[in-house]
Amino acid sequence: MKTWQKLRAQPHLLTTYLMREKVIDAIRIFFKQNGFHEVDTPLLAEHPGTEPYLEVFETQLKFDDGEEKRAFLLTSPEYAMKKLLVAGLGNIFQICKCFRNGEGKSGTHNPEFTIMEWYRSNADYTDIMRDCEHLFQSIWDHVTPEEFKKSHPRYRLQHQGKEYDLSTPWERLSVAEAFEKYAGIDKETLISEVALPKAAQQKGYRVDQHTTWESVYNQIFLNEIEPFLGQKKPTIIYDYPASQAALSRKKDSDPRFAERFEFYLVGVELGNAFSELTDADEQERRLLEEEKLRAALGKIVYTHDPDFIDALRAGMPRAGGIAVGIDRIVMLFANASSIKETLFFPVEDMFDE
Amino acid sequence: MIKGGNIRKGSYILFKDQPYLVTKTEFVSPGKGSAFTRARLKNVKTTATQEFTFKSVETVEELDVQSREMQFLYLDDDEVVFMDPRTYEQINVKKALIEDKVGFLTPDVLVFILLYEDEAIGVRFPLNVKLKVTYAEDATAGNRVNAPKKPVTVETGMTVQAPLFVKTGDVIIIDTETGEYISRAN
Repeated sequence: MKTWQKLRAQPHLLTTYLMREKVIDAIRIFFKQNGFHEVDTPLLAEHPGTEPYLEVFETQLKFDDGEEKRAFLLTSPEYAMKKLLVAGLGNIFQICKCFRNGEGKSGTHNPEFTIMEWYRSNADYTDIMRDCEHLFQSIWDHVTPEEFKKSHPRYRLQHQGKEYDLSTPWERLSVAEAFEKYAGIDKETLISEVALPKAAQQKGYRVDQHTTWESVYNQIFLNEIEPFLGQKKPTIIYDYPASQAALSRKKDSDPRFAERFEFYLVGVELGNAFSELTDADEQERRLLEEEKLRAALGKIVYTHDPDFIDALRAGMPRAGGIAVGIDRIVMLFANASSIKETLFFPVEDMFDE
Repeated sequence: MIKGGNIRKGSYILFKDQPYLVTKTEFVSPGKGSAFTRARLKNVKTTATQEFTFKSVETVEELDVQSREMQFLYLDDDEVVFMDPRTYEQINVKKALIEDKVGFLTPDVLVFILLYEDEAIGVRFPLNVKLKVTYAEDATAGNRVNAPKKPVTVETGMTVQAPLFVKTGDVIIIDTETGEYISRAN
């Protein structure tokens, strides 16, 4: 049964779906009150992001004179927004659609999804952490029914039978601390190309000559750490191994790690943030490495955006930025167990089985 | 051997030397990293459950499962007893391995008992079963606009959501995968 048919038969389900409208209203109010400009950047481009594990939708741009160009639907509006920081827009946010191809089926993925990104000039990732805390509290204030507010302490969120506390400060844990605490792996082992796969093998993970450090790192993270994140309060997990943060600034105190964080609630990854890398040469080097890795992984190959590098070369202000999944936030505030229960037209409704 | 990314609900796999049934899978891609499959696993010997996240590219060993057609005999406290209709040999299956499907079992239903190393590890049901309705409320009692279906009780004691026209005494066809009503058989 299509979602529109379900809603026609069971109008009470509408409350869940209309949570999207409320959450998006709350987000706009929050950013406008905090002096951000809302911007609108293209979703169709010649040079999409080069994230090695994300696959893009490819199409063709055709003009009436027969000229044709390869074109792609973006996986994130990041480059365009950073160009606007260079242009001098200061603090900006955007809510838009993005597209990721080739993903498996899950309650937290849809090939076409709604993303929000915001960037602060003259700021770093710690400013974005505080934005996340305040934004979620602001959404709570805006969307929580009055009767619930009267009978519960402020910033309590009920989801699938459990209660969570959004009050500040959220739990903060570095990646190295998390590996030590939950997986018993120390910092030196964690970042070693040799020692980490060995430690994983001892734990019983399947490791052979093709197994990469990245896959071992993420497999331990998913099995032994992620289930403990955001179980009572949201968890901010920060300072990623530098190889896992192609667009972020390395830490001055230990350049083997980079200023990236993600935050989790209910075990769901909600956003991914950086102190943005502003060094054009370093950025170009990392994008070229990602292009090579894309080719090795059999992903669609294209060149990185030269205009993005030109913009960095012109001088990007020190900045912090983040991408957050709107569908997942709506799912949490609507008390739904899957984003599909909050989308009027989930991908299953759009393509025949 | 299959790839981690191809594990599906209903697969039987060997994991850390133990036989498991996969009861749920979900795609995971951590922070723009490579692809993984998070699986809920049920140990078919102990019936204990756990979650494990496989790399999409790692190899996973499938169980060599044999199957044997048998007939449902009776339900014990925590076991279900089946019989081979030709040899009269009986096999017990742990109820915890069939879970929500116990309500589909009548003496008329022929199923395949799944065996691993001569031990019963599961039951494969036919795609649908016919069950007699033993109690259905009067259709007019339901709210036609908001609830076009009503709960009816079938001969095994299970309740099924059925259309308003279904009456006591009807035989209905039920999908064993989803537990949903398909049609009336009479």
